[in-house]
Amino acid sequence: MRLRYITAAWRMSVRELLRSRIALILFLVIPALFFAVILLTTTHKEIGFKLASVSEDAFIRVSQRREALVFIGLAAVGLLTSFLALNLTQKHAAANRRLVLCGYTTSELLAAKFLTLAGLIVGIGVYLSSLLLLFFRPGRLLLVFLGFILAGFVYGSYGLMVGALFRRELEGILFIVLLANIDIGWLQNPIYYADAQNKFIIRHLPAYFPSQVSMTAAFSGHSVLAPLWGGLVYGSLLLLAAALVFGWKMRIRK
Amino acid sequence: MVTVVDVRNVAKSFGRKRILKDVSFSVCRGEMAGIVGENGSGKTTLLKTIVGLLAPAAGEVIVQEKVGYCPQEMLVFDTLTVDENFAYFAAAYGLRQASGPGGWRGRESLLLSRFGFAAYRDSLVSNLSGGTRQKLNLSLALLHEPGLLILDEPYSGFDWETYLHFWDFAEELKAAGKSFLVVSHFLHDRSRFDTVYELREGVLRCA
Repeated sequence: MRLRYITAAWRMSVRELLRSRIALILFLVIPALFFAVILLTTTHKEIGFKLASVSEDAFIRVSQRREALVFIGLAAVGLLTSFLALNLTQKHAAANRRLVLCGYTTSELLAAKFLTLAGLIVGIGVYLSSLLLLFFRPGRLLLVFLGFILAGFVYGSYGLMVGALFRRELEGILFIVLLANIDIGWLQNPIYYADAQNKFIIRHLPAYFPSQVSMTAAFSGHSVLAPLWGGLVYGSLLLLAAALVFGWKMRIRK
Repeated sequence: MVTVVDVRNVAKSFGRKRILKDVSFSVCRGEMAGIVGENGSGKTTLLKTIVGLLAPAAGEVIVQEKVGYCPQEMLVFDTLTVDENFAYFAAAYGLRQASGPGGWRGRESLLLSRFGFAAYRDSLVSNLSGGTRQKLNLSLALLHEPGLLILDEPYSGFDWETYLHFWDFAEELKAAGKSFLVVSHFLHDRSRFDTVYELREGVLRCA
């Protein structure tokens, strides 16, 4: 991989993203909208749930609103990063292939796109953590933020893979919405999880580890090391899958 | 004569449909070769196979020169400006030096002026007309001064004046020893080619 090539592609990728009005609107509006819905629909009534990655006995009682704010924060990161990552690999796919024909390698292009995505994930994570602070201060804010970053990494990698796989936007969006809605938007909510009949499926969905990091850090003093590693491995596997699909789609017969 | 492209017994199918059947031909240095044929006859598939975008089912393609490929579709970045597209492709070609003698900026200026779209240098591609986008699409293939130009209907959408400018420029490049393989469906283009091949139902014949 040649650094000069990656830097040039990264610069262009960032410019493209900054010129996308819909991306900027989504970036600013979605988190605020999600938090507003939580504020309008929840109360401070106490609710109890178990932390799946800690112990079946670790029962925690917290404000319904606070739990929902962290949960919806994770959902916002997952949805936003996967949509924006989809855009990075799907849009201009044919022009990207022309770049490969002209001398880029697929790994250089993907590295540039991932760098753009990484910046985006940090931006969304910082924005969401700042919004969260307006309503309450979680126990370990930095680790909650880390959970947001991890959700962005896992779902961003998934978005890159889906974008590389499907040529048309509709299929890509459908695949993202289906998974994100079921996983990060529903099953990973500890309130649902606590009494779920089949926890095996939930534990193997992409948002399991990131949501455990944020929830555990926000409402307990337990270690988040295990879900942190789990999330990193999960995200790396999805990124590897994205790299393979992207490489296959961009292949050139030399 | 030095052969710059040698296509030997190339076949290509999509599913059960055979697009190219045992296609063989070659292009020599300084030659202007044209491929004509009806819509769907396999011209674009043949060019894509030569440049490496498609793999042949049989046969082989040997290319001995640095290739400049202008695809039929406008494969440019429409959320970037014209100048940024040039910079992106210059990076892809590995052109290090931007300014100064021999730098790609000079080449960019030349192409912008030869095809008459210098005024759009800082415009977003999404705001350009189809013809101007095609000028960019073609210019990106010429940026790195390739020895072999493989052009798939390079002047579709051009006005008459730009079309004539294109051929003037092509003649200059040919005189400088560059080789061309051009797909065209214009009958009046035939006189401009040294060799004309006709592709019909996947079979290539010298017309």
